[in-house]
Amino acid sequence: MPKSQFIDPKMVRKASKVEFKDIPVNQYDKTIEEEKVNFTKEQLVDIYHDMALIREFETMLNLIKIRGEYEGIEYNHPGPAHLSIGQESAAVGMAYHLGVEDFIFGSHRSHGEILAKGMSAIHKLDDEALMEVMKTFFDGTILDIVSKKHTGDLKSLARRFLIYGTLAEIFARETGFNKGLGGSMHAFFTPFGVYPNNAIVGGSGDIAVGAALFKKVNQKDGIVVANIGDASMACGPVWEGMVFSAMDQFEQLWEGAYKGGLPIIFNIMNNQYGMGGQTCGETMGYDIAARIGAGINRDSMHAERVDGYNPLAVIDAYKRKMELLKEKKGPVLLDVLTYRYSGHSPSDASSYRSKEEIEAWEEQDCIVSYGKELIKAGIATQQELDDIKADITELMKYSMTLAIDDEVSPRMDLIKHPELLGEMMFSEGSVDKMEDRPVEVNHPMEENPRVQQIAKKERFAFDNNGKQFSKIKQYQLRDGLFEAIADRFYKDPTLVAYGEENRDWGGAFAVYRGLTEALPYQRLFNSPISEASIIGTAIGYAMCGGRVIPEIMYCDFLGRCGDEVFNQLPKWQAMSGNVIKMPVVIRVSVGSKYGAQHSQDWSSLVAHIPGLKVCFPATPYDAKGLMNSALQGTDPVIFFESQRIYDIGEQFHEGGVPEGYYEIPFGEPDVKKEGKDITILSIGATVYRALEAAKELEEKYGMSAEVIDARSIVPFNYEPVIESLKKTGRILLTSDANERGSFLKDMAQRITELAFDELDAPPVVVGSRNWITPAYELEEFFFPCKEWMIDAIHEKIVPLKGHVVSGNFTNAEIIRRSKLGI
Amino acid sequence: MATVVIMPRQGQSVESCIFTEWFKQVGDEVKKGEPLFAYETDKASFEEEAAEDGILLGVFCEEGDEIPVLQNIAVIGQPGENIDEFMADGSSGTQPEAPLEEEAISASPNVESSEVSEEVVVQVKEQGVSGDVKISPRAKKLAEKEAVPYQNLVGTGPEGRVIERDVTAYINSKPKMTPLAKEVAKEEGLQTVEQGSGLGGAVKAADLTSSNPVYSEDFEIKKLPNIRKLIAKAMHTSLQNSAQLTHHLGADARRLLELRKQVKATEGAPNITINDMVCMAVIKALKQFPDANAHFLGDSVKYFNKVHLGLAVDTDRGLMVPVIKNADDLSITGLSNQFKEVAQSCRQGSIDPELLSSEAASFTVSNLGNYGVEMFTPVINLPQVAILGVNTIVPRPADLGGGAYGFVPYMGLSLTYDHQALDGGLATRFLKQIAIEIENLEIDF
Repeated sequence: MPKSQFIDPKMVRKASKVEFKDIPVNQYDKTIEEEKVNFTKEQLVDIYHDMALIREFETMLNLIKIRGEYEGIEYNHPGPAHLSIGQESAAVGMAYHLGVEDFIFGSHRSHGEILAKGMSAIHKLDDEALMEVMKTFFDGTILDIVSKKHTGDLKSLARRFLIYGTLAEIFARETGFNKGLGGSMHAFFTPFGVYPNNAIVGGSGDIAVGAALFKKVNQKDGIVVANIGDASMACGPVWEGMVFSAMDQFEQLWEGAYKGGLPIIFNIMNNQYGMGGQTCGETMGYDIAARIGAGINRDSMHAERVDGYNPLAVIDAYKRKMELLKEKKGPVLLDVLTYRYSGHSPSDASSYRSKEEIEAWEEQDCIVSYGKELIKAGIATQQELDDIKADITELMKYSMTLAIDDEVSPRMDLIKHPELLGEMMFSEGSVDKMEDRPVEVNHPMEENPRVQQIAKKERFAFDNNGKQFSKIKQYQLRDGLFEAIADRFYKDPTLVAYGEENRDWGGAFAVYRGLTEALPYQRLFNSPISEASIIGTAIGYAMCGGRVIPEIMYCDFLGRCGDEVFNQLPKWQAMSGNVIKMPVVIRVSVGSKYGAQHSQDWSSLVAHIPGLKVCFPATPYDAKGLMNSALQGTDPVIFFESQRIYDIGEQFHEGGVPEGYYEIPFGEPDVKKEGKDITILSIGATVYRALEAAKELEEKYGMSAEVIDARSIVPFNYEPVIESLKKTGRILLTSDANERGSFLKDMAQRITELAFDELDAPPVVVGSRNWITPAYELEEFFFPCKEWMIDAIHEKIVPLKGHVVSGNFTNAEIIRRSKLGI
Repeated sequence: MATVVIMPRQGQSVESCIFTEWFKQVGDEVKKGEPLFAYETDKASFEEEAAEDGILLGVFCEEGDEIPVLQNIAVIGQPGENIDEFMADGSSGTQPEAPLEEEAISASPNVESSEVSEEVVVQVKEQGVSGDVKISPRAKKLAEKEAVPYQNLVGTGPEGRVIERDVTAYINSKPKMTPLAKEVAKEEGLQTVEQGSGLGGAVKAADLTSSNPVYSEDFEIKKLPNIRKLIAKAMHTSLQNSAQLTHHLGADARRLLELRKQVKATEGAPNITINDMVCMAVIKALKQFPDANAHFLGDSVKYFNKVHLGLAVDTDRGLMVPVIKNADDLSITGLSNQFKEVAQSCRQGSIDPELLSSEAASFTVSNLGNYGVEMFTPVINLPQVAILGVNTIVPRPADLGGGAYGFVPYMGLSLTYDHQALDGGLATRFLKQIAIEIENLEIDF
């Protein structure tokens, strides 16, 4: 909500009507004869070759799946193979004009796109550049394999490289493009501009927008194509991605070189089916998918339906649309009409469509009809086309033989190196800046009003006499976050932050106050309130080499970006064979006072997902140190904050929060108070209630409690906790997460396993009730408090003389609640 | 990782040893196998070798200290390693425990102190109460380490669970146990006692076995000392590997008693005992019966020219049978002196082991007459072929001649012989000859 934009009631209340630009449908009508001026003979034949190559590649996979052999070579491939036989012209047409600087993202059905884009790169790159790519990729491993006994030019070697690398990846071989960790649905090859293909329908719909954002913010050449299916147009994240890509601010608020639309084409590979659901006529109502463009922006996304059965029609459309993107008129929506003869997967009996329908499309087969046109136009003879086909068959036989040879193409050896995959889950980088160039900021740090305000604050909560300074004078937790983030903005030119109310508002919880003044729009901006696009674009941004802090405000909104947080963010580092890094720090804030959908601590949910780092600092010192570590790293971090304590001062770190840069390593819990009779391990804001409990335990019961703040939960070092337990023999765990399935339970189990003989009582978990969060006035019955902690100690660990319980922690009550599921 | 050096355990009954010398100084490099320190028990002195390479980081005792066995006395490790944890353990054994009451008093107003000591009163269940014991892993670990019979504790934890404080309170309520006592208590499941006999009231292993308030079983099982093991083996082997039987025969003891009277009456005469005289008679008989002065070797017999007489001696440590070599060369005085000498060495433990070998003697005499035994069946010391048991002297009615009957003192003689080597007739004649020699003994003194 920038003040510069005045919402004039007189204007917006005026009567008018919305008019749409026409959306062209199948307007291309040139013959090859007419196109001869635009293409050389060689280029026209190459188009045929590339389509035939894809067709044979997928035919090979299809035969392996349904017959267990191809050209007499036997092989069993138990993994997936979603084929696009029939769609080759759409893929080749899409890739034809794209250079290696243009990135494509795809779906589970993207073999054709990989090969088309790969061949396009091979056609365009000179020998030296091609050799450089092949030599440097995984230290030339694939090149060494395909170079053996190779005769012919470098381009034919590169073609071998492309086919073998893709096939080995599909067959889960360590010599594949992603070390066999991506497989058929995820294979990609970034040196040729092929970015991750996604097994979640519509998964690329927001990630690709992030890639386009990266290109724009970092002024990189090239465009981004999101190859998504017609059925994915119903997916929320796709819609969110399109809306994000069409934000007015690109045109109206971003300045200078950054002004203008995102360089992205949403390329709907419209094969007219989503699995078996017919998108036109059954599962959708858009009739023609290009219509959707009209709902997104004034330009109707320059949407157009193109006849994807004619490669030249698609090539023509791309030429025109790429011109638009160069003029910063993006985003673009293309509805490339096509058809697949093959089933959704080999198990598909095509019960949802008639034989006649398939035959009708086969009669117009894109490769056959294009071949006929070539012959008719005198570009090629039937013999030449047959020779191309024969050559491709030999290439497939060659590649398959190599890719199924366990000696040449072994799988990852998890017997010899049992932790190999484990070592790939995190990249564990320590990188000041993702690119080395000057940062774009509006003024020197010391001129920043927030920085000047913080300079006057007390960096330790207490004065020399141990008296607390007033809240307003204390350096607060939000100041710690600000300092770490501001510091990184002045170090890393690629760093961007966005989310809901990030700019003028200063962030919903005032963490970013001051950043609006310091940063130009392209580095800090408000996004639509659509979490899938916020996180999805951040993933795409990081995939391309940038660092990003997406913020989703309330923790409860994690569900809105579930796929992005659970399936995308944590997976791509390992799934890419460590080709990709993921420096994304997601800020989430745990609320209170706002009821059931604004008060949940979901740290347990993200901790459950392998591949994410999770932290939850509770002090200004820890918040700044952990944020510094998160932003120095190259791994995805879910950074939890609590709205209860944004204004808390530093009560523990002697000398207060340092002004300079420091890091707190992930995984190290911190003893906030020493004690010897019981250990209390806390995650997040409950540490202050644990300290209250510790005080009462000492004063009333003579029991000295050691309070440990977990600080981060993935990774987590149990050793200090075990050390404490050796001393105390007793442990209580607490956090604001509801108790069932809480990460505390995982910790309790681990502690029992690691230190069973040290335990004088079972580890006891005090979490929130398994209810909805009630209104603020009733929260004392829901969230952990010191009384509950003492009750639980009394009931489960060691009876406290004279203690009268306020909560019910008896076994009978636990059984009753469990039976009822509450 | 630092390695702790402990005072070695010396047999089952040794509670403590006297530390005598460090061969290394703190800071010295120590090689595995090098002598590290010396110590002694009341019976012998020993040297202990280092068990690890390293630097002697610290020692916890000095010359003359009495150190309970199993207690930490030194640490070997790498420079810079912390040895405090070992020291704490080490010193605890010798320092008397502060009384429980004192702790409780100081604890109550002071919140810094553990909540454990102020609350918990030790309760022990009635004997015979059984059933599952609820105990926390930590409490159990401590109970086992400190030999606390946790099955009998009443737990103060949730649902009556025995928790650490219950075990700690129990430990605090009992006197300190020596390391050996702990181990014995653990091994044998014994409960400690209220008052120990060691330093500062510490409970020693011996205290545990002498009284046992909970378990009333009236026995203790002790490992055999080595000498007992040897005797057991020799005796068992003897009965297993020979065909033993015993003949009993009486000898008129009037001559012996007369000679004994003369010895006593003669001023300056050596103290020649009845036993000396019997042995003299035996030697004389053996000279006439070489078949009895022999070793049976299975397929052959070893005949001795000289008499090497073994004499059974009862000592504190057990039965010993030292031998007098070439006894037939000795006068009664010489024989008497030598018997006294070897018996003394045996009782002092300084006897030459050579002289204890059953191979060294050609014949053995075992005299239980002093104890009033009237008849017994001594067991042969293989490979000797026979052994003479000498019984007490009892008056027996006898024909005094001339139609007169009266009581005559008779000495019982029990000859066990190996029927493999000797026949009954020969054995009887030999035994009779001994009697004759006794009845007609002539000695000079």
